[in-house]
Amino acid sequence: MENRETKGKKENRGYLVIERGRDGRRILYADHGACTLSGYSMEKLLAADPEQAAGKLEKDKVMLGDGHELWILDTLQNRLQRRQELEQMNDALEDALKAAEAANKAKSNFLSNMSHDIRTPMNAIVGMTSIGLSHIDEKSRVQDCLQKIKTASTHLMSLVNDVLDMSRIDSGRMTLNEEVFSLADLVHDVTVIMRPQAELKKQSLVIDIGPIYEESLMGDTLRLRQILVNIIGNAVKYTLENGNVNVCFRQRRPEEDGKKEWEKDTVLLEFSCQDNGIGMSQEFLEKIFLPFERVNNTTISKIEGSGLGMAIVKNLVECMGGEISVESREGVGSRFEVVIPMSPALHGKKETVFPGGLTVVLAESRDDRAAQISGYLEEGGLEVIRTKEGMDTVTRLTEAQYENRMPCALLLGQGLEDMQVLELAAHVRQLAGRDFPILLVSEDDWAQIEYRAARAGVNAFVPCPLFQSRLMETLGSLMDNVGEGERQQADKEADYGSRHVLLVEDIPLNQEIAMEILNMTGVQVETADNGAEALEKFEGSPQGHFDIIFMDIQMPVMDGYEAAKKIRALSRGDAESVWIVAMTANAFVEDIRLSREAGMNEHCSKPVDPERLQEILRSRFG
Amino acid sequence: MQPYQEEYIANLKDITVPAGKGAVPSSFGEWMTWMERHKKAADEKAERNMKLLREELFPVLDHIYETDSQEISQLGEFAGHLLAGREELDVGLYCQIHKALLNLARRTKNREVMIRELYLLGMGYYSLCNKLVGMEYAVSRKYISQMRLCFTEAAAYLKYFDEIEDTETRGFILRSRANMALGQFPAPGEKIHMVKRTLQILQDKGYQEKEPGLPWDRYIYMTHQQMAASISYTRELTMTSRDIEDVMESVYIVYQRRLKEAAEKNGKPPARPAFAYCAIEYYCGMYDINELLTRMEALMDDADPSDFSADGGMYSIISLPAFYCQFLNFFPELIPEREEYVESLYRKVLAYVESFPKASENESLFVYLRQLSATFVETKNSITYKEFLIRLEIHFAPAVYVHCRAVGTAAAVLGDLILEEEPGYFDDIPDIRQIKDRQKKRRKVREYAMECGLLYDVGKISFMNLYSQASRQWFEEEYELAHLHTQLGAEWLSGRKSTEGYAPVALGHHSWYDGSRGYPEVYHRLECPCRQMVDLIGLLDWMNNVTETARLYTGLHKNFEEAVEEAVALEGRRFSPLLTARLRDKKVTGKLRDAFAEGRREAYRQLYEWRERG
Repeated sequence: MENRETKGKKENRGYLVIERGRDGRRILYADHGACTLSGYSMEKLLAADPEQAAGKLEKDKVMLGDGHELWILDTLQNRLQRRQELEQMNDALEDALKAAEAANKAKSNFLSNMSHDIRTPMNAIVGMTSIGLSHIDEKSRVQDCLQKIKTASTHLMSLVNDVLDMSRIDSGRMTLNEEVFSLADLVHDVTVIMRPQAELKKQSLVIDIGPIYEESLMGDTLRLRQILVNIIGNAVKYTLENGNVNVCFRQRRPEEDGKKEWEKDTVLLEFSCQDNGIGMSQEFLEKIFLPFERVNNTTISKIEGSGLGMAIVKNLVECMGGEISVESREGVGSRFEVVIPMSPALHGKKETVFPGGLTVVLAESRDDRAAQISGYLEEGGLEVIRTKEGMDTVTRLTEAQYENRMPCALLLGQGLEDMQVLELAAHVRQLAGRDFPILLVSEDDWAQIEYRAARAGVNAFVPCPLFQSRLMETLGSLMDNVGEGERQQADKEADYGSRHVLLVEDIPLNQEIAMEILNMTGVQVETADNGAEALEKFEGSPQGHFDIIFMDIQMPVMDGYEAAKKIRALSRGDAESVWIVAMTANAFVEDIRLSREAGMNEHCSKPVDPERLQEILRSRFG
Repeated sequence: MQPYQEEYIANLKDITVPAGKGAVPSSFGEWMTWMERHKKAADEKAERNMKLLREELFPVLDHIYETDSQEISQLGEFAGHLLAGREELDVGLYCQIHKALLNLARRTKNREVMIRELYLLGMGYYSLCNKLVGMEYAVSRKYISQMRLCFTEAAAYLKYFDEIEDTETRGFILRSRANMALGQFPAPGEKIHMVKRTLQILQDKGYQEKEPGLPWDRYIYMTHQQMAASISYTRELTMTSRDIEDVMESVYIVYQRRLKEAAEKNGKPPARPAFAYCAIEYYCGMYDINELLTRMEALMDDADPSDFSADGGMYSIISLPAFYCQFLNFFPELIPEREEYVESLYRKVLAYVESFPKASENESLFVYLRQLSATFVETKNSITYKEFLIRLEIHFAPAVYVHCRAVGTAAAVLGDLILEEEPGYFDDIPDIRQIKDRQKKRRKVREYAMECGLLYDVGKISFMNLYSQASRQWFEEEYELAHLHTQLGAEWLSGRKSTEGYAPVALGHHSWYDGSRGYPEVYHRLECPCRQMVDLIGLLDWMNNVTETARLYTGLHKNFEEAVEEAVALEGRRFSPLLTARLRDKKVTGKLRDAFAEGRREAYRQLYEWRERG
């Protein structure tokens, strides 16, 4: 009763229990509220006529049975106020319900949408495994595939960890590793992951490199990659087919940043990603860094994602002491900018130093790319002759050859004005000979173009986005390896010394020439003058002794086809696996087919092209 | 030349004589017997030529580094017979030999031989480039680049003109310099710039004084001709005023000289310089396009149909109409008022071509016909492009026509059998889908299949040396070149109303079924609204190839039963299982075998009738 009275008081309502008798109504019970509202004392009220006591007050009557009624008294003002409060409470409850439903829905979506982020690296793993299996005998290609599988699976692992990360972040338990990493490797890894996705949507994904002062840095490379992949991945995801995604990496010295005090030696790694995709509304921009949120747009179908990405990205960037900002307009596109302070690795950067006076011919039609490559080469002490056309390049090289002032290398860029770079490479290889280094700097995936490039005579490949260290190291090692007068020794050091080759050739001069070429690579060469002798030597050799048999076709006693068939038919373990290369002037398509049918693995046309022999060795030995 | 080389050349000449030539049959049956005998003889000669190459030439290439100079010189002479100016007997082998000789020259560091071999190899590549007229620059660029790089490298020695004493080598350097401008360029201005630079070099007194033994006047005049001819390659609105200025002088020089020569003989100057003269006046704004077309018509009307020279009738009757139609394609609003002229023009072309002596041996004629084909204007009453192409096929590539007719007949039969069981099988083709009546639908499918058969391989016309005139197996590079027949055929067919429906079949008939691997590797299965017909033609093309035609090109041969077995084995990988399932039914394969034979026989009958008429 006490409570009720208190409550009635607090609520400014009054309660009367009325008994109806034969002689009319009487008040059986009243609370303090009823007294206050009616202005009667308790005693007077209990004796008063109920209707009279209630007077003009608002009253709700509740029939209680047995002739009793409960009257609830209230003022009009109170009642209105209470109704208003009730409505407000109802609204609040409704909002809370909606929010709970939305959160629930977001979490449900999160579970069903996780597929994309997991599927993307899985596609890379499955695809690269297939490619690797179909080229199982080509060591370098398998290595490339395995490297990509490793990259994708590492990324997959990080995705699976997203959920855990979010809870770590929520609970403030997020920690970062501090390890030495190469910025070039990081950017390359991100490119390898992202480019296939952009290509699927026929998008132009341009990754530019601005000034980079320190390539070897300290930081959590896994988390950095997570940040980059998330941001670029979103750009690709939310940009329509044939759209553009432009990414730029650059570094700033701390002194260039006037806003903050940075520790000594700090470099600021800046990363920007701009797309011309669907963009975001102002409303969405406000919650972009909240978990489980993503843009919905009918023009982009099948968008998949965890919705955790940007929340994690923001938290990771902040954990690293950096900042992230975003600008976006619906239908125009978005731009993300990230600035992260980083410490350079303690050991100094390894610099490739070239002797003075060396020249490189750079064949690249695009001015911006040529300027970047030239800048790197000139910084390394090399003189650059830039050409835009294949014809101009050939003219210059022919003149240089005539005047005995050949450049130290030809560097092929992405494109030329008058022809494909590989068409030029093939001609220059013939013109300049096998020792001349030809380097390809390309945005293409090396695995896709390696076969054509190697056949065209390209010695080495430097992937884009281009880092100075990569370019100079590759160029340096090429010049060490294939530099004039040093090739012989260098190739011997290229670990072919333990390899054994059987050269089957009946013509003494041809044998001599092939021997000369093979000897330069360091392989151990044994010879046979005809197929029968080759068969005999193979049978007499220890298991696994010969790695490759270079087999002439037209020979006395036993021809190459028959010898290959007989070798394959032997019962010893290496009979099936030994690599047999047909070496013949018979160039009909049928001849190539016949050599395959005889069990040979490759076909090498005569006159023997040294580069082709090198390529076979490379593809076999890696 | 060595005896085997002479024999090879003689065999080549026999093989390339069109089938039926010289025969005097009194009936179709007799003619068929004659044709079979001719084919057998040609096959035997091709076999013999292969043997000669394997036993005689390849060993020489094998020993090239130790071959004596006399044998090397004989090799060069042999190659010279394989491609002599416009007479082209075996350009593939020509390139193989010159590549080997160039390799030898590089190895021995014999600069003079190297320059000559670069020039000669460049000429071989040029001949290959000519087969790609009408094809997009992006596709033909590879071959153009190969050619241009050879000429460029040889021309780079111009800088050392003083140091190279041999007159002939100096001539090769200058000719290489001039030839750098041969073939297509991405923009006409580049070609003009290149020729202009050559002219500057040739007119340089310094060079002329150093080597008075060279025919400088001829070089200069030919380069002016090249410059004047470049007007034919230009496009409306793409020439700058500078380009026009550069071309104008050459056009006047060439025209004046031809005018003078003609005046001496009381004649008119030939159509080529006369057209260039008109065209440059038009580009200079001296008159409008209507006037230019009228003047071109006058030049074409003046043509002598009995003149079969490249500069005479061949140019006026085939090449000039190609440029005329090119202008009409740029200004389609002018077509209605010139429709009648266009109609008469194509009739004239076909009559001329069909009366052309040794037409199939004339490479210039082919080049011009490719130009005409690439610019063909289809009007209401003119001969349709479809008919035009089929007539070219019959005339120049009868073997291809026989193959196509056989495939078309078999496609009609198999298509009909399929429709009996599955009336909606070809409903991926909109025109077929909308036919509700079953009989009408079957009739339409039969017609469409037959026409697809006749047209899907039309791109092969450009590669006569690889198909109709093939005299040996292909080299790897030729195999690669042969792949382009699908693209070239599709490009021709897709541009005209009467043939656009067959373009997907031309493009896709060598694709793998599952789309993941090409045949050859670069091909991809076509995404098109007539997939079923593409698959059908692809399967039957393969079957007729391996049983009838491919043996010569690739060494592959199967009898009909083996071909059926192999096709079934390739089910789901290369061929649609929906089709190969039918090949398990003996009744179906029996009908197919008959259809192939019937198609071939019918094709021969048409060739016979065409011959009788002609």
